[in-house]
Amino acid sequence: MSGSSSGPIRRSASVRRLVAIGVTLIVLLSPFLWLLQMSFKSNDLILQFPPPLIFTPTPQNYTSLWQGAFPASFVNSLMSASFSTALALILGVPAAYALSRWAGRGKHALSFAILVTRMAPPIAFTIPFFLFYRWIGLLDTVTGLVLVYTSFNLPLVIWMMQPFFETVPRSLEEAALVDGAPTRVVFLEIVLPMVAPGLAATAILCFLYAWNDFFFALILTRTNARTAPVAVVNFMNYEGWEWGKIAAGGSLVMAPVLIFSLAVRRYLVSGLTAGAVKG
Amino acid sequence: MSGRGLVDAERRRFNRWALAPSLIVLFMIAGLPAIYLVVTSLTPFQLVNPGSSTDFSSPLRNYRLLPDDPRFVNSLWVQAKLSFWGVLFQVLLGMLLALLLHTQSRVVEFARTFFLIPMVLPPIVVAIIWKLIYTPDISPLYYAAGLLNITMPSLTSSVDFALTAIIIADTWEWLPFTFLMVLAALQTIPDEFSEAALVDGANRLQIFFYITLPFITPILVISGMFRLIDSVKAFPLVFLLTGGGPGSVTEVTNYYAYLLAFDFNEIGYSSSVTIVMLLLVVAVSLGVVWMGRRREAMA
Repeated sequence: MSGSSSGPIRRSASVRRLVAIGVTLIVLLSPFLWLLQMSFKSNDLILQFPPPLIFTPTPQNYTSLWQGAFPASFVNSLMSASFSTALALILGVPAAYALSRWAGRGKHALSFAILVTRMAPPIAFTIPFFLFYRWIGLLDTVTGLVLVYTSFNLPLVIWMMQPFFETVPRSLEEAALVDGAPTRVVFLEIVLPMVAPGLAATAILCFLYAWNDFFFALILTRTNARTAPVAVVNFMNYEGWEWGKIAAGGSLVMAPVLIFSLAVRRYLVSGLTAGAVKG
Repeated sequence: MSGRGLVDAERRRFNRWALAPSLIVLFMIAGLPAIYLVVTSLTPFQLVNPGSSTDFSSPLRNYRLLPDDPRFVNSLWVQAKLSFWGVLFQVLLGMLLALLLHTQSRVVEFARTFFLIPMVLPPIVVAIIWKLIYTPDISPLYYAAGLLNITMPSLTSSVDFALTAIIIADTWEWLPFTFLMVLAALQTIPDEFSEAALVDGANRLQIFFYITLPFITPILVISGMFRLIDSVKAFPLVFLLTGGGPGSVTEVTNYYAYLLAFDFNEIGYSSSVTIVMLLLVVAVSLGVVWMGRRREAMA
């Protein structure tokens, strides 16, 4: 890195710095762009070196994905991510509100327990869930995935929503309470609308975490409930090395993530650190 | 006075109803599995042998086997190497990137978003991206090396380079995380400090070492520890790029536990490996919480 990068004073960017930023960005994103351009190439073109700078993009990889079993796995991913998000929000949002208004002892212990749930390696949950699902017949079902995903999304909701509730002035609630409104009504009609942006950000993060999962789906599903990330990897194992299809599948899996996460980038850090650090 | 008491009672009732469902569900989908994991780790449970799931005749057998299992010891060592180098590079490069992008400019603010892309990609897509880069037939990297007359070994199947290949991919994926955290810290440094130092004749390097670095050190440590915790979860990269190989060069503890449970059907033994991993994660998490509190107390 150049020496000019260490200037702590905020001033308008120099041309040298802008060039350095541009070059870094291109270098950093090149592996990602390589996947993207590959998804629009035929298999012959993929193996051709030097790679042609200009080529006619073909949608053939995407259309052949569309005709195969891939759309079904895409729907599985959508359903398991959406349902677990909904479940985590319905359960977690009232809990986060209660916790944010609760000064009692045990709050720190509870917070730590929730943090550990977020931090635990997935395999710690996979073994018990696998055995339990095998026993009650939830292996390879979307319901099974929804439950597993809720195990990490519910703590996320409780963590992320608390700071949002803390920003709602208590005087507002107290006025309504004095007028005789029950807490339930105050919560639903006064507090909840005020934290709508936080609610949206939390929902999107939940969706993304569930959508991004590979490990749970790899172990807990076979064919019926197979999610898109697992389906893409299966192209490598069973259908020979169809690079174009793999690249197209990968691009499709990342498409919703890119769109959504850019919308909530302000909250990405607090989500990742489970709220232990205010980003 | 009694009206106030009524409101309080009503509020407490609401709190109970708001918290109870979450706590019950959390207990069922996180607490019970954790307990079950501990219980299984005390048995020699193998999937092919159902009776073994309730055999508590020698509860600590698995844990006694661990220190003498060369694959387990090796996996801890591999994990330590992966975590150390990965976290080091992520913190260093993330800091440099943050310093580079810490400037007031609309264009740069817009560009920041694109630097976050590697981190938000699904981990399995990151693994696919690097699989493409590391596969000689289709990789621009190998083509470029060929142009320069360098014969590159197949990185992911080489004993010397396989772990490095994973560290590179892991660093690429998580660099944006440390970048984002350091950038947030940089933006809280009051301008007056460095302005005063400039007036006193300090050069850029001095300002960095005496003002910027002390200011961002806590965030460097905290972001490093978060990465440390998450580095234990590195699965998709190992799974797709090397499969733990060649031999067990890239077999991290998480991957070994996965193989034990779902390839060798040694559920009981795998559970004990997982418990050890879980304890390590809890220890580091406690450290993070403790440091976060201390920082809050200092602020």
